[in-house]
Formats: sequence, C-alpha cells, structure tokens
Amino acid sequence: MAATASTGVGSAHELDLSCTVNGEPVRVRVDTRESLLDLLRERLGVTGPKKGCDHGQCGACTVHLDGRRVVSCLTPAVQVSGADVTTIEGVAGPDGELHPLQQAFIDHDALQCGYCTPGQIMSGLACLAEGHAGDDDEVREYMSGNLCRCGAYAGIVAAVRAVAEQGR
Amino acid sequence: MRPFAYTKVETLAEAVDALVAAGPQARLLAGGTTLYDLMKLEIETPPAVVDVHRVADLAGFDTSGDRELVFGAGARMADVAEDGRLRRDYPALSESLWRAASQQLRNMATLGGNLLQRTRCPYFRGGEPFACNKRRPGSGCAAREGLDRSHALFGGSEACIAVYPGDWATALVAFDAEVDVLGPGGARSLPLVRLHREPGDTPQHEHTLEPGEIILRVRVPATPAGRGSAYLKIRDRESYAFAVVSAAVALTLDGDGRVDECRIAVGGVATRPWRVPAAEQALRGNEITEASARAAGEAAFADARPGRDNAFKIELGTRTVADAVRLAGSRAVA
Amino acid sequence: MSREPVDTRRVDAREKVTGAALYATDLHPDQVAHAVLATATVGRGRITELDVSAAAAVPGVLLVLTHLDRLDLQSPGFIMGGGYGVQSMQPLLDDRIAYRGQAIAMVVAETLTAATEAANLVHAAYEQEPFAVTLDSPGVERLSQPAAIPLPFLADLDVGDAESAYAAAALRVDATYDQPAQHQNPMELIGATVFWRGDTLVVHEGTQNAGAIRNGLARQLGIDAANVEVISPYTGGGFGQKNSLQIHIAPLALAARRLGRPVKLVVSRTQLFHHTSFRPASRHRIRLGADEHGRMLAAIHEVEHQTSRHDLFPLMYTEITSRMYGVRDFRGRQTFARMDTQSPGFMRAPFEQPAAFAFESAVDELAYAAHRDPLEFRLANDTTVDPISGEPFSSRHLAQCLRRGAKRFGWSARQQRPASMRADDGSLVGWGVAVGAYPGSIVPSAAHLVAGADGRIRVEVDGHEMGQGIRSTIAILVAENLGVGVHRIDIVIGDTRVAAQHLTAGSWGTASTLGAVQAALRALREQLGADATGPVDLAAAVRATGRDHVEVRAETLGPGQTEQDIERARRGHPALSGPEFPGYSTFSWIAHFVEVRVEPSTCRIRVPRVVSVADCGRVASPVTAASQVRGGIVWGIGASLREAGEVDPRYGGFLNASLEEYPVPVNADIGTLDVDFIGEPDLRFSPVGVKGLGEVSMVGVAAAVANAVFHATGVRHRRLPIRIEDVLAGASPPA
Repeated sequence: MAATASTGVGSAHELDLSCTVNGEPVRVRVDTRESLLDLLRERLGVTGPKKGCDHGQCGACTVHLDGRRVVSCLTPAVQVSGADVTTIEGVAGPDGELHPLQQAFIDHDALQCGYCTPGQIMSGLACLAEGHAGDDDEVREYMSGNLCRCGAYAGIVAAVRAVAEQGR
Repeated sequence: MRPFAYTKVETLAEAVDALVAAGPQARLLAGGTTLYDLMKLEIETPPAVVDVHRVADLAGFDTSGDRELVFGAGARMADVAEDGRLRRDYPALSESLWRAASQQLRNMATLGGNLLQRTRCPYFRGGEPFACNKRRPGSGCAAREGLDRSHALFGGSEACIAVYPGDWATALVAFDAEVDVLGPGGARSLPLVRLHREPGDTPQHEHTLEPGEIILRVRVPATPAGRGSAYLKIRDRESYAFAVVSAAVALTLDGDGRVDECRIAVGGVATRPWRVPAAEQALRGNEITEASARAAGEAAFADARPGRDNAFKIELGTRTVADAVRLAGSRAVA
Repeated sequence: MSREPVDTRRVDAREKVTGAALYATDLHPDQVAHAVLATATVGRGRITELDVSAAAAVPGVLLVLTHLDRLDLQSPGFIMGGGYGVQSMQPLLDDRIAYRGQAIAMVVAETLTAATEAANLVHAAYEQEPFAVTLDSPGVERLSQPAAIPLPFLADLDVGDAESAYAAAALRVDATYDQPAQHQNPMELIGATVFWRGDTLVVHEGTQNAGAIRNGLARQLGIDAANVEVISPYTGGGFGQKNSLQIHIAPLALAARRLGRPVKLVVSRTQLFHHTSFRPASRHRIRLGADEHGRMLAAIHEVEHQTSRHDLFPLMYTEITSRMYGVRDFRGRQTFARMDTQSPGFMRAPFEQPAAFAFESAVDELAYAAHRDPLEFRLANDTTVDPISGEPFSSRHLAQCLRRGAKRFGWSARQQRPASMRADDGSLVGWGVAVGAYPGSIVPSAAHLVAGADGRIRVEVDGHEMGQGIRSTIAILVAENLGVGVHRIDIVIGDTRVAAQHLTAGSWGTASTLGAVQAALRALREQLGADATGPVDLAAAVRATGRDHVEVRAETLGPGQTEQDIERARRGHPALSGPEFPGYSTFSWIAHFVEVRVEPSTCRIRVPRVVSVADCGRVASPVTAASQVRGGIVWGIGASLREAGEVDPRYGGFLNASLEEYPVPVNADIGTLDVDFIGEPDLRFSPVGVKGLGEVSMVGVAAAVANAVFHATGVRHRRLPIRIEDVLAGASPPA
C-alpha cells in the first residue's frame, strides 16, 4: 500500500513514524526531509551519534538499523519506520555494565577526544558481528569508514581484535 | 533541503504508478546514499520522491545459476560483496563492491542505485558559484579550465569532463551485464553499456531510462572468465575513497596458457563505465607476461585525452591495467 | 594509610565509550532554536543586493540576521593582534566580502530543517573585485615581518654571518620546499549552544580557550565579562582551530537575546573550510652549508606564508630550525604574503611541522651530499647549547631519542644507497629519519581544590580537554600525590565559572595546569596538617579539621613571569613564556624513524611502521601520552601523503571543502606505531618536570616520510603532500 505524504510545495511534509530506539518504542511526527541523525539528536535527545560531516564521509553518526551499521546522516528518518535503531546509548547492559568492546576501548585507549568514539564502537560491534575482525588488516579495512582525527586507529584495531580473540 | 512530495511504495506496480503520477522530475529513493546526499546539498531538488527501499521484489539476488547471475536492484552492496559464489567465481565483482565506500554505506546503498551514482566532480557538488553544465545547463564547465586532476580522460566533451565514479558498473560492463527495467510501457532489457550516456552537449542527461522507468535487476551472463578476474582500485588513501584509477579484468587461458576470453574495463577515468576493447584485443592470444600486460594497459589508454592535472593517469592507468591482468591471470591459472 | 594503586587509563573514557560525554551541541535546552549560516559565493567584493524575503517566509523561520540589521557588535580583535577572535573581521557587520565563504546571513528557525532550507534561500548579488588566493597569485602583498610587527620574538634571526659561512662551505644545499594550506578538521564540527540567563550570557562551545570567548564576547557585545559564562568540558578535537573566539558566537548571542530563547548553531563541514582558521600555505628556502667532514656550519631559512588582508598571522618557523643543530651561523627571514582569505591560524605544530619538513629534508640532502648516514650525520651535529641564546637547554635528550629509536627500528640494517632495499613482494623499501622540536612554554594557571569529609577531592583548574588527556594527567598527579584513587577525584576544567581558562594550546597545558595543581596540593597538605609527602587519609584529615570540606587555591606562573601575565590571562589574552628563560632555553624533542613501501608498479606509498621516541620531560600520563604521540604520527602521515587545501584561483577559497575531497588518513592508512619516551624530568623548566608533547609528536614526521621516500626511490620530493603522481613521475619506466 502506497503511503503518500501531504503534497503542495511549501507546505509541511510530515509523516507519523514509529520505530524503536534502543529497545524503547518511539512514535514521532517527522519532516520527510529530516535525517535519522537529526531526529535522534535534535528531537529525541539521543546525542551519542555525532555529526561530523552530514554527508556519509566520516562515520561519526554510525548506528545500527535492524542490526546493521549505517550512517544515520544519510538515512532519511522516514525510512526507519518499523525498524529497530540502536545507538551507543543502547550498547551497555541495563545496569550500566559495559559491553566488552566498550571496555576494550578503555583498556587500549582507543580514543582521545571521544567525538568519533560512539560511531567507532557501533562500527566495531558490527565489524565483529559481520566476521570482519579476523586479523589486523581486515579490521583496518572494515573500520576505515570511521574517521578519527585524533589518530587513535592503532588502539581501535587493538580493541576490536582483543574482543574478537575473546570471542573465539 | 527543498520540500518534496514523498511516497513510499511496497510493490513494483505501485512504484511505477507513483513515479508516473509524480511526473518526470520525480526521483526514486532507495539507499539514499547518492540522492539524499545531493538533496542535502540542493544539487538535487526533486519535487517528488518515490521511496522504493521496502519493495521486496527488488531485494534478492541469485548467483547460483548456470546461465546467468541475477542481482535485484534493491540488493545491498554489502550483502552481495559477501556472497561466497561471487567471491570465488567472480572476484572482480565482489572486489568492485567491497572496495567501494565504507561498510556502513554498502549496507545502505543498493545495486541499482549504485549504477546511477552521480559524479563526485567538486564543481558539480560544490554548487554556487561554480560553473557546471550538468547542474545548471548552459553555465559552462569550470573543470575544463580548472583543477581537473579527478576528471575524465575518456568520453568528455566541451560541456563536461566529470568522471562517472562507480566501481560496480565498471566491473559489470566488463562482464557484458544486462539491465532489466520496468516502466509504464512494460518491461525491457538493455545492455549495461547502453545505460549511461556520455555528456555530449547535454551532460545533465546521464542515463537512457525513460521517465517512469525503474531498474529491476542486473543480469550477468555466467562465464569461466569470472574466476580469472580482478578489480584493482587505486585511491588517494588506502580505503574509503573513490578511484583515482581502477581496472576490471576477466579472462580465461587456453591449454597453452594463452589468453582466450578477455574483458577489460577502466574506472575513475571516464564519463561513463568504460570498456576498452583495444586492450582486450591486444591481450587476446598472448601469454601473460610483463610485456603483454603492459601492452594491454597501453592499448587501454591509447586514446586518452588528458587535461592539465590528470595526464599522470595515463601511466598510472596503464600500470593498473597491467597489474590487474597479471592478477586475473594468476587467478585463472589457479 | 595505604596507597590505592593508580589507574592510569584515561579517566573520562567511560563517558566517551557510553555516549554520556556531552559536547557543546549535544545540549538541547527547552525551546532551543536552530541557526544556519548563508555564505558569500564571490572571492571579494561588496554585497549590492540582499534579499531574505524567501528565507523569512519559510514556515518556522524566526529571524534572519544580516548586515542590514545594523548589528550592535564590535570586532573581537585578532587573537594574535591583542584581541580574542579567530580573526579581527566580524562578518555580518557591513557589505564587504573579504573572501569566498564569508557568512552573509544567519537564519534562525524552530527546526534545523527549516533553518537549513531557509539559509539556501538567502539571495545576494555582488559587485566583484579582483582577488588573490595563492602564494603565486598576482595581487599578493608581501611584507617583511619585523617591519610589519616590530616585536622582539618576531624579529629576524641573525647569529654570526650565515651568508659568508654558507658561501665558504665545502658542501652546500639550496632547496625550496612547499607546504600547502591544510585544514584542522577536528571531528567535532565547530558550533555552539547559547542562551541568556537574565543578564548573563551562557555559551557552550567546544573550545581550547573559554577565556577568550568570555572576554571577547564582552568586548563584542559591550557587556561585563563577569556576565559571560563559557562552559566546555569536552572538546571534540581542537588542533588549534578552536583556540579563539569564533565569528558565529556573538551573532548567536544577539539572536538568543532577541528571541528570548536558546539558539544552537552547528557550522557545516563544508562551511568550516572558510569559516575559521587553517594552516597557511608556506614556502621555505633552506640553504645549508657544511665542511668536507659533514660538520654543519651555516643555515639560512627564508620563509613566507599566507595571511589575510585583515590580519597578520605571525611566522615563527625559524624558532626551531635555528635550534635543531649546533650551527654557529644562522640567518632567518620571515615574510607575510597577504591575500584574500579568512585569517589563517594555528594548526597542530603550526610552524614546526612545515619548518621541520623543509629543514629536516634539507639536512637529509646535506647528509647524502656528505656521503654520511643520515642518523649518524644528525648525531654528529648535535648540540647542548642553544645556538641563538648561547645558554644551555634545560634538557635535550635528542641524541638519546635518536639512538634508542634507531635500535628499536633496526636502523643498522639500512643500506645507504637509495632504491637499494626491496621487500619480498617487490616493493621498494625506504627508511627515513628526522627530528622535531617544539618550544617550551608555561602560562599562568589557577587551581582550586576542595577536599571533602567524604574522601573525595574536587579539582577546579585552568585547562581544556580536547582529547590530549589533561584530565588524566591531573587525576594521576593528585592520585599519586595523595594516594587516593582516581575515581575519588572530580575535575572541572574548560569552565570560566571556576578559573580564567587561559588558552590551552602550544603544548603548555600539562606543565601549566599540573604546576598549579601541585602548588595547590602543597597548600592542601599544609591546611590539613599532613606531611609534605606520602598518602593522606583525606576523609579523616578533613573531619579532623571539624569542617565538612577544606579548600585551597594556588596560582602559578611560567619562569620569569609576573603579575602582569596573570592579569593578561584573566583578561583572556595569551600570556606565554619561553622558550628562552633566564639562564636556559626549553624545547621538547623527538626522533622519528619511518619505513615506507613504494608499490613498484603503481607507486602507491604505504607506511607500514613508524618508531618515535620523545623527550617531553617526565611522562605525566603514560597511556594518554603514548596516544598523543601515535596521533601526532598519524597527523604527520596525513600531512606528508594526503592533505592539501586545493585552490582554484578563479573562484577563491578552497575547492575540496569536504572530508571526502580533503583526505585525512583512515584506519587502513596506518600501520604499526611504536612509541617510547626518554622520561627524564625537566625540573629546571617545570616543578612537575614535564615539557610539552602534543605538538612535538607530529614535528618531523613529514620529513621522515619524505626522506624515506627518497631512500626508497632516489627521488627527492620537496612539495607536500607527496602524491602518487609525484612518485610516478620519478619512477623508472617498466623493464
């Protein structure tokens, strides 16, 4: 069934959206132009995903959409209707116990300013789940969609690899 | 971003109907990695968008066939790149996918959308004040007298020298891929090589689809040359970048170790996916040696028309083709 | 009292790995409105027509600010010209366009979507004027620095008679090196969340200089600095770009006042290439002379760099090149090239990175001219005395850096002849070495400690956390001093409500902040009646005073500084000391060893491994220090092989204004990074024994890469970045 938003240039173009964010059901009216990133950050107060470029060129906004990593800046919010969105805020356990990859980021100092870190960790989790953490070079390749201007790449590789080895 | 009428569809019939209803300026939205990106820049300002990302009939792909491989236009690049058969029997196709963009973008981008990815020319993407006939017909081409390091050696015109940036289509064109489309007038097929247009005097027209037509799938004829294939991509950094130069090579060797079937295409250097028959001809019937691989590379770039800053791509491309030939040859033997 | 073991891991890492760390534009106060900038499309000229009607008509738009509104704003002044701003020219005040990308309107709307749409609908027409945007453009105005700014620290350097010594030298190198404009591109976009609480302006912006924002806004808005609060607990990378008052904050404050609600602005990545500072393009002519034995006799460093028409961003390139070696005769000349851009500014190792690339490349050329191993050549020309001041260095373990690095790297297996080493896969292997230096400075700093009866201690101090790990250095110092666990320490930095918040830059942060904290700890011990050293049971000691908390304050200065410097810092101005101090000079030192592999066919350069050994005095925080150096190496790789601001002179500004087209290194670009420290405290320079680290870590990397590429290929590259076409052009044709 086709769903059409209101028409007529200049008028508001809005749709009702329901999805889950970190397991919580969300119902919200969105502008069809709005990105998932802006929805999360500016409307839902979920600010773990960061804006570093707004054009899919840095990975700081990486979230999981139905379990797959995507850049939320290039995901129109209307496309997450019915989907499960997971951000860095949904990674730790209910009592705040860190995911092993979060702990590994701390132990390997895989961060400096921390701004790219939520995206790095969401990408790293996916990298592990995809089976792309087999060796250092594979991690380097599959973590290259997340820029870190501080240059914490060596620590990031070490952290992802450490968790991959734990999982063996 | 400009407001637009948004329609989400779930079937192909709905997609075509909605596209026709929305008029010739409407755009299809799938993964969003090109269209939504350009809408944010207001390079694309469609009055209407038809969202096909949930159309189930577009989603699948099947690489198990004896006659052909079939790739639904809505299949995601990451999923197809991982396919075991593709990795083993058509490594160039898999490599053209996983060497593109980042895993996040490959999880979003679709195979059909990727075919029509638009150029990364900075004068196109930069908007005002840059002259760009593709973006604003008649305004001129800033690249022709400007910084043209990333611009085309092949297929350019006075009006436009913007490079077609895709890897997947470059590999596909070497495999004689066919594209199935559906439109208000029904379904039709066309060779992939005929999907893209050279800029000529109308660089704003980049493809040959009719208004209301939607890409259904790509079909690749099965070939033993798939196994002896490689997609090499040279970038300004080791990952997450568009090609400075790329080469897709697929070949078979006869019993004497001479190249029998041979297909070669180059990327990052042309205004559309660019097959190079002269290179294939140069290689066919020869053993793969340093010299014959080099000769194929030279033949591939013999007709290159460089500008000021991109002449280096002739030598770089020659070497990239030669490397790809040798790699493909080693795979064909194995 | 037992001492808790010190956890040296980054103390704010937990907040950062959980998304709990809130950066300035993560805030979303009630009723926040969103601002977006519209920018000029011409390289220079005048706005002749500005039509905001379409923008204002977009539903949800609240306000469009332009110069036609006659904004009541003063210039903030240039940070390097006695002011506070990233540049002196405040956009939106008149119809002048000084550079492409200059803001011409600020649109504020209920939603980000509406503000973005509306900003694109601002229509301007211009009267265009000729402009110049590259060092080679006609219309560039050249000015000798000492003539333009007659300040002692910017003077020409003339020690001995370098021209004569050079002319007489048996071995000579005369070469010119080009450094392109480069862009800091911290991952956190520049932006702010601003609101008024009564008469008090509250500014949240990721910054390295809350003090300049506070005082600069007071000047711009004509209000008392006491009525400005600037809060910046986390800065998502600064690298110099966030070292001053940005040009959007004052207009944001006006918008917030007019609307009576908070306003947030995030400058887009593309706009950032013109909105704020960048590393200026520079050109260096280096002449070096040596005797026939390879003893360096003369060095002449002449350099020009770009600056804007409206500000003179000073040149301080020769400060380190004159101190790298024991060269008797040195001559330095520095020249401005004024052109039509926004004002350039500081970017990590702002002068030292280009200077070391040029100078250390030339030294390599000289070593080869002398037929000497480049490592041994450097060791042979070492010095313990500052050749400029004639005084000793407070510490200089550069030779030890070189020797230790060489051992870790395996330098002794190197073959001297270029293009003589090959890897198993046929790649050309190149091994290069270069050294770096960075001036030592300490600035005024104030610390306030509050020890509670609950055993916790609160540290309020000057300093900003940009990722360098200043919070961790503070926590470790306090933990080691008192024997308390780092989890009992609360640290407040980047906040003008607790301290003046002097600029954190120039690698002076750690020595300055820790100096103040250590002085405060001494005072605290006295207050608590505790011994001068050894663990303290804080809870018991505080309870013993009969109060629920004990607080102390301390203020410290750089060597030789006075009350005047404290006053400068309080007013939000830089108050630097060094590198020449009474009786000594202080620099941090580093040696880098780089292996490159040049892929034989396509000439791609890869960097599989780097060894760097730093002399930064005592290592205050081993985990974050090592990360700092690794980051510096990554920056050096970016600077040498990837990054350049591309300029199309027909249009002005920068063409490649995105993270796609301006390629910073990705994970796959980085191999093994092996980092070590000498670790000898420099107590003459600093009571805590530390020297700077963040900047020196990148100095010399680009030269080591370029020297390695020369060693791999036999071709010398004197222009950065070294790209595939550069190597390809020098490559021999295939057999």
